[in-house]
Amino acid sequence: MKNSNSSSFSRRAVLRQAAATGAGIGAASFGGLAPLGLMSPAWAENHPPIGTYPAGSSGPAVTIGAAVPRTGTYAVQGEDELKGMQLAVEHINSGHELIKKISPKTTKGVLGKEVKIVVADSAANPNNAVQAQQRFISENKVILMTGSTSSAVAVALNKLAQREHVMYVTGISGSNDTTGKDCVRYGFRQDFYGQTAAAALGPVLLKAFGKDKKAAYMTPDYTYGHTVTKSMDDYLSKNGGWKMVTNQISKLGSTDYSSFLTNIANSGAEFLINVNWGQDAVLSIQQAKQFGILPKMKLVVPYQIPFLAPGVGDQTLLEGVYAATDFWWTLEDKYPLAKMFVEAFEKKYNAKPEWGANNGYMSFALWADAVENAGNFYPPDIIKSYEAGRKLQSTVGEVYFRGADHQLVRPVVIVRGKSPGEMKNKEDFWTVTEVVPGEGLMQKPDEFGCNLGDYT
Amino acid sequence: MITWANFIAQLFNGLALGALLALISAGLTIIYGTLGVLNLAHGAMFMLGGYAGFVVFQLTGSFVLAVAGGSLFLVLVGGIIELVIIRHFYGRPPEDQLLVTFGLGIVIVELVRFGFGGLTRIVPPPGWALGVTQLGFLIYPTYRLVELGIAAVSLTLLYIVLYRTRLGMIVRAGIEDSVMVGMLGINVYRVFMVVFGIGAMAAGFAGIVNTPVVSLTPDVGESILVRAFVVIVIGGVGSFPGAVLGGLIAGEIYSLTSMIDPAYSDAMLFVAMTIVLLVRPQGLLGTRGRE
Amino acid sequence: MLKRIPYLVEILTAVGLIAAPYLLPYLGFAPNTVNRILVWGLFGIGFDILFGYTGLLSFGQSAFYGTGGFVAAYLLTVLGFPNVWLAILIGTVVASIVGYLVGLVALRRTGIYFAMITVAIAEVFYFVEFSPLSEYTGGENGLPGVPTPSLYLGFTTLHFTGGWAMYPFLAACYFIGIVIALRIVRSPTGAVFSAIRENPLRASAVGHNVHAYKLMAFVVSAVYAGFAGCLLGILQGFMPPEAFTFETSGQLVMQTAIGGTGTLFGPLLGAAVWLFLQDFLQSSLDFGAAWKLVLGVIFVLLVCFLRRGIIGGFVDVIAYFTAKPHPPAPEEAPVTAEISAAISPLASVGLVRRREEAPFTGPVIEARGVTKSFGGIVANKNINFTVEQGELRGIIGPNGAGKSTFFKMLTCEMPPTSGQIFFHGRDITGLDIASVCQLGLTKSYQVNQLFTRLTLRENVVIAALAERRGKFSLDLLRRIDKVPGLDEQVEATLGMVGLTARADVPVAELAYGEKRRLEIALALAASPSLLLLDEPLAGMSPRERVETVQLLKNIRRGRTLIVIDHDMDAIFGLAEKITVLHDGALLAEGTPAEIQRNKLVQEAYLGGVAAA
Repeated sequence: MKNSNSSSFSRRAVLRQAAATGAGIGAASFGGLAPLGLMSPAWAENHPPIGTYPAGSSGPAVTIGAAVPRTGTYAVQGEDELKGMQLAVEHINSGHELIKKISPKTTKGVLGKEVKIVVADSAANPNNAVQAQQRFISENKVILMTGSTSSAVAVALNKLAQREHVMYVTGISGSNDTTGKDCVRYGFRQDFYGQTAAAALGPVLLKAFGKDKKAAYMTPDYTYGHTVTKSMDDYLSKNGGWKMVTNQISKLGSTDYSSFLTNIANSGAEFLINVNWGQDAVLSIQQAKQFGILPKMKLVVPYQIPFLAPGVGDQTLLEGVYAATDFWWTLEDKYPLAKMFVEAFEKKYNAKPEWGANNGYMSFALWADAVENAGNFYPPDIIKSYEAGRKLQSTVGEVYFRGADHQLVRPVVIVRGKSPGEMKNKEDFWTVTEVVPGEGLMQKPDEFGCNLGDYT
Repeated sequence: MITWANFIAQLFNGLALGALLALISAGLTIIYGTLGVLNLAHGAMFMLGGYAGFVVFQLTGSFVLAVAGGSLFLVLVGGIIELVIIRHFYGRPPEDQLLVTFGLGIVIVELVRFGFGGLTRIVPPPGWALGVTQLGFLIYPTYRLVELGIAAVSLTLLYIVLYRTRLGMIVRAGIEDSVMVGMLGINVYRVFMVVFGIGAMAAGFAGIVNTPVVSLTPDVGESILVRAFVVIVIGGVGSFPGAVLGGLIAGEIYSLTSMIDPAYSDAMLFVAMTIVLLVRPQGLLGTRGRE
Repeated sequence: MLKRIPYLVEILTAVGLIAAPYLLPYLGFAPNTVNRILVWGLFGIGFDILFGYTGLLSFGQSAFYGTGGFVAAYLLTVLGFPNVWLAILIGTVVASIVGYLVGLVALRRTGIYFAMITVAIAEVFYFVEFSPLSEYTGGENGLPGVPTPSLYLGFTTLHFTGGWAMYPFLAACYFIGIVIALRIVRSPTGAVFSAIRENPLRASAVGHNVHAYKLMAFVVSAVYAGFAGCLLGILQGFMPPEAFTFETSGQLVMQTAIGGTGTLFGPLLGAAVWLFLQDFLQSSLDFGAAWKLVLGVIFVLLVCFLRRGIIGGFVDVIAYFTAKPHPPAPEEAPVTAEISAAISPLASVGLVRRREEAPFTGPVIEARGVTKSFGGIVANKNINFTVEQGELRGIIGPNGAGKSTFFKMLTCEMPPTSGQIFFHGRDITGLDIASVCQLGLTKSYQVNQLFTRLTLRENVVIAALAERRGKFSLDLLRRIDKVPGLDEQVEATLGMVGLTARADVPVAELAYGEKRRLEIALALAASPSLLLLDEPLAGMSPRERVETVQLLKNIRRGRTLIVIDHDMDAIFGLAEKITVLHDGALLAEGTPAEIQRNKLVQEAYLGGVAAA
C-alpha cells in the first residue's frame, strides 16, 4: 500500500480512504478498531463512500484505468483506441480547445484535478480485463474504467462496474447486449452497435443490390458477433427478403478459416457478410481470396474494422464494399470538431485516427462533461448527469445520451471502399456515402431487455 | 451443409491439414520413440520454425530460402536443447521430462513474443503458388495443394532417412532397445542429439510451410501440440507410420465434422482419441507394451 | 519434529492466514493478488495430492476447475440462485462427479499417456464449453455478474465484497481445504498414495487396489479444482472461459513445481511467487509481456536443479543443518552377534493374520498345465506343480529357465497363456495381484521393489496397511495411528527381519543387505500364508547370506515358502523338496538328495552343480 500524498497524510485521510474502499487494513493498522474488511462505512463529506469514492478523488489527481488489447487478435485496434484516450487525457489536462467545445465547463483537468491513465493489456480477453481492472481499483483507486474492443470484455466490465460501483465507459463494443440485456447503471457507451449498424446499412444495401439475395455470414462466436449477425439478418430478411444460406461461426482468434470458407464456397451465396473483427477479419478476407470466394461474392462489412484495408493489403478486395462505421477521418470536411480532432491526432501521432481513436477520445470527453456538470466525483451524481440527456457536441455533430439504457444517440456513418485508383493518399480507403441520423436507428430502450440496476 | 461438392472440398481440407499434422507428429513421435521423451516444447518448435522462416524471408524475400534456412535453424536449436538440457533428464522420471520440456516451450514462446511482439506476422506464398486451381468442379487454393505436396515429399524423405539409412536403422533399433544400441558401441548420445534435431526440424519445417496459410503469432504452437498428441495416440506412440495415418485420420475427422458444424470439429478429434484409447490403447499402428 | 505438537501445522497456517493481510501489503501485495493466490493455492492442493503425493501428473485440471466454476456461476447468474454457499457446494459436487468419470478413462493408462489423455480430455471440455454449451456458459463471453457471498450470523450479516473484504472468506475456504488435505495425507489412504507414487507395482503386490486409490486421488484433485473454480467466479464477479484452457492447467503445474511438490503448501507459495512477479515485473519494472519469460526461465531452472521446488529446497537446507546422524548401517564383525540376536526365532511371534482362512487340508498351491508364451517364445510350458501346507520348496534352474516368469504367474502378476492356478483349492487364475495378496499369497522380488523415498518403517506400514484394511478402504480422514493392530504388525515385522533399530532411516540410506531384508519384510507384513521368495540371497555378502538364511528359517514357521535361488548350498540346506526348471519346463522334482543325483539336472547344469 503506497500512500504517495505524504504531505496531506493525516489520520482522517487514512481512515476515510480505508473506509471508502472497504480496505479495513489501513484502519486496523492505525486505529485497530474494526474487524478486517468488515467495518461499516462512516466517514464522508457530502456523500457516503461508494466504490472508489471518495478515496480515488481525494488527491490532486484522478486516475482512469484502461484495459485495451495490445496483443492478440484486436491489438492493432486497441493501440489506436489507446492513442485516442491518451490524446483526450492530454487535452483534458491542458484544457484544449477541442475539449472545451465538447465539455464547455472544462478548464484544466476534471473539476480541477489532473487526470492520469493507467493501462493494461487485455488481449481482448474478459478475464485479463477484469483482473487488470480489479487491480486498478484496489491499487490505483481508479474512478473510471474503460477499454474493451471486444464486447465480451465490455459486458464483463459492465458487470464489474456495477458490482464495484466504479464508473465504466466502453471502448469499442458492437454488441446489442452492452446497452441491452447486459446494460448496467454504471456503464455508458459512445459508439454504434449491431442494431444501429444494421438499420443504417440495410437500406443502403437494398438500394444498391436489390431484394431477394442469398448471403453467407461469418460470425465470431461471442456476444458481438451473434447480435450483429442477428440484427443484419433480421433487417435484410424482413425488409428485403434476403436469405441467410449459411452462418459460419468461428472462435475469436481463429487462424485457419479453410473449413468455414469451404462451406461458404459451396453454399451458393452471392454475398459474404463478414462480421469477424480485427485480425480475424483480415485473415478471413485474405483466405476467402485464396479460396476464390472473393471477389466472386460481394463482401459486406457490417461493423467496420479499423485498419482493415491496410491489414488486408489488397484494396481491390474492398473496392465497392459497404461498411457501417462510427467515424472516418474524411468527415473532417463535414464537421468542424472532426477536423480539429483529426488535426490534433495527426499532429501527435503522425497518422490519421481510426474510429477506435475517435471513440476513445469522445468517451473521455463526454465523461469530462458529465463530471463537470455533476460538480463532484460521487458516481451516482455523475450517472445522473449523464442521464439528464443534455445535447452534446461531438465529432459527428449533435448527440445525446439516452437515460434509459445509457446508449449515446449518435449518427452511423456508411462508407464504401474506394478502388485503388480513387485513393488520393495512402490512408484514403473509404468514401463516406451517408451519415444516417441516430434517432431512427435505435430500438426501444427496453427492447433488448435492458434493466440498469441500482445507483448504489 | 452436406453436398457432394462440399464433401470433396472438405476432404481436400482434411488432407492438407492431415499432411501437416502428420509431419509435426512424426517429429514428436520419433523423438519419443528414440529418446523416450515426450517433448512438450514441440509446439514451440513449430512456432519457432515459422518465425525463423519469417526472418529469412524478410532478409532474402525468397520463400524457398525461408524454408531451408528455417529448417536448418531448427535442427541447430533442437540439437542444442538436447545437448544442454534434455540429455540430463534421461535418467529422471518421465514427469520431470514433461515438466522441463513444458517449461522450455514456454520460454521459447515468450522469447519470441519478447523479440517479435504479439502482433501477427505474415509470409506470403511464393508467387507461383498464388491463386486458385481448378480441379474439375472444385476450386482449390493453389498454395494449399503445394503445401500438401511439400508435406508428402518431406514425409517420404523422412521415411527414407528412417528406413533406408544407417542412421535410421540405429534410430529404429533405439526405439526397440536403446540399451542394446549402446552396447553395440554406437554413440547413443550423438544419435539422440541428431534425432532431437530432426524431430524439431520436422515441426519447424511444418511451421514455415504453414505460415502462408494462416498467420504467425507466438501462440500458434499450442493448439498444434495438443492436436499432435491426438495424432500420435491414434496412430500409436513411437510409430512413424502411425503418425502419418493418425495425422490423416485426424485431419479428415476435423474437416468432415466442420462440414456439419465447425463448432464440434475440435471436440470430435478428442472424442476419436478417447475411443481409440478405450478400444485399442496402443494406437492403430502401435505395438503393445511401450509405455 | 513437527508431529510433537498436535495440529501445529494447522495452527501455523491459521496464524499465517490471519497475519497475511497485515504483513503482505508491506511486501507490495495488493489485496486482489492475495485473493487470487489463495484460489490458486486451493486449486493446487488437490493437484499436489494427485501429483506430489500420488505421482500422477495431470495436465487437465482445468476441466474440473472450469466445470465447478461454471456450474456455480450458472446457478448464481442465469438461474438467479439466491444461496452462494449452496451453489459452491453443487459446483464442487458436479466437478467431483466429472472427475470420477474422467478418471475412469484417463487412469487406464500411466505415465506420459496419462498426461496426454488428461490434456486431451480437458481440451474436449474447453471446446464443448465454448460452442455447443455456449448457451449455458456464455462461450467467449464467460459468465459475468457473479455475486459476492455473505454470511448471516444471527445478529449481523458479513458481506464479503471485493479486496480485503473478500479475503476472510477465501482464507477460510483455504483453511478448510488445507486442514482436510492434511488429514488426507496423514491418513492410511495418504500412505497408500505415496506408495503408488514410489512404486505402483509393489503397492499392488502388497495388496492395495492401486487403480481405486488412483481414482480416489483423481477425484480428490477434482474436488479441490471444482471448489477453487467456484471461488474464482465469486472473486472476480466473472467466470472466465479461460478457466478451461490448457494454459490454466499449465500454470497450475508450474506454480506447484515452483513452490514444491508433495508439500501441500507448495502451490500456494508457487502462486505467490508467480502472481507477485507478474505484478512486480509488469508494473514496477515495466517488463510488459516479458514477465512470463522470466517465470518460464525460473521454472526451467527449478526443474533442472531444485526438483522439489522452493519448499523442498528449504526443507533440504534445514535438514542439512539440523540432521542428526542415523544409526550407522551395521557393518562389521562386532555387530554380527547383535544382528543374529535380532533375527531370533522369538521375533516371529506377534505377526497375526487379520483374517483366518477356513481350514484347508489340500495343497496350498497347485499349478495345472501352466503355459506362458510371449509372442513366439514359450517361457513356461505345461508345468504341473504342487506345494503342500508348511513345506519349504526350492526352485532352481539355469538362467533363462523361466523361474521368474513362473513366479509371476503364481502371484498373478501376469496371467498364464493357458492352464490354471489354485490357491487353497480356489482357482485364482486371472485374479489381480492385489486380490491374491489379500488371499495370503505374496512374493518378495528378485530386484528390490521398495518405496525408495520413504523410511523403512513407512515401507512396512504400507504393506501392513493392506493386510489390516483390505484392498481398498475409503478412510481418507482417518488417522493412520487409529488403524487397529497396525503398530503391532509393523513392529513385529521389523523385529522379525532385525531392522527395528533402523526403522526411521530412509530406504535410500540402507545397506544392500538391509534392503534385501526390507524386501522380504514388505512381503511378510502382508502376513502371507504362502510366501514366494525370488532369489532372496542374490548379491549378498557371505555374512548377509548367513543372516538371511537364518531369517528364512524363522519365517517359515506357520507358513509355506517357495524359494528361487542360485545359491545351491543354501537351497539344498533349507528346502525339503526341490523343483528344477529347465527351458521353461519342469525337469525334475524331489528331495535335495534325489535332485543331486539326477542325471538330467546334472546335464542341465553341465555338470557344474553336481560337482558342488
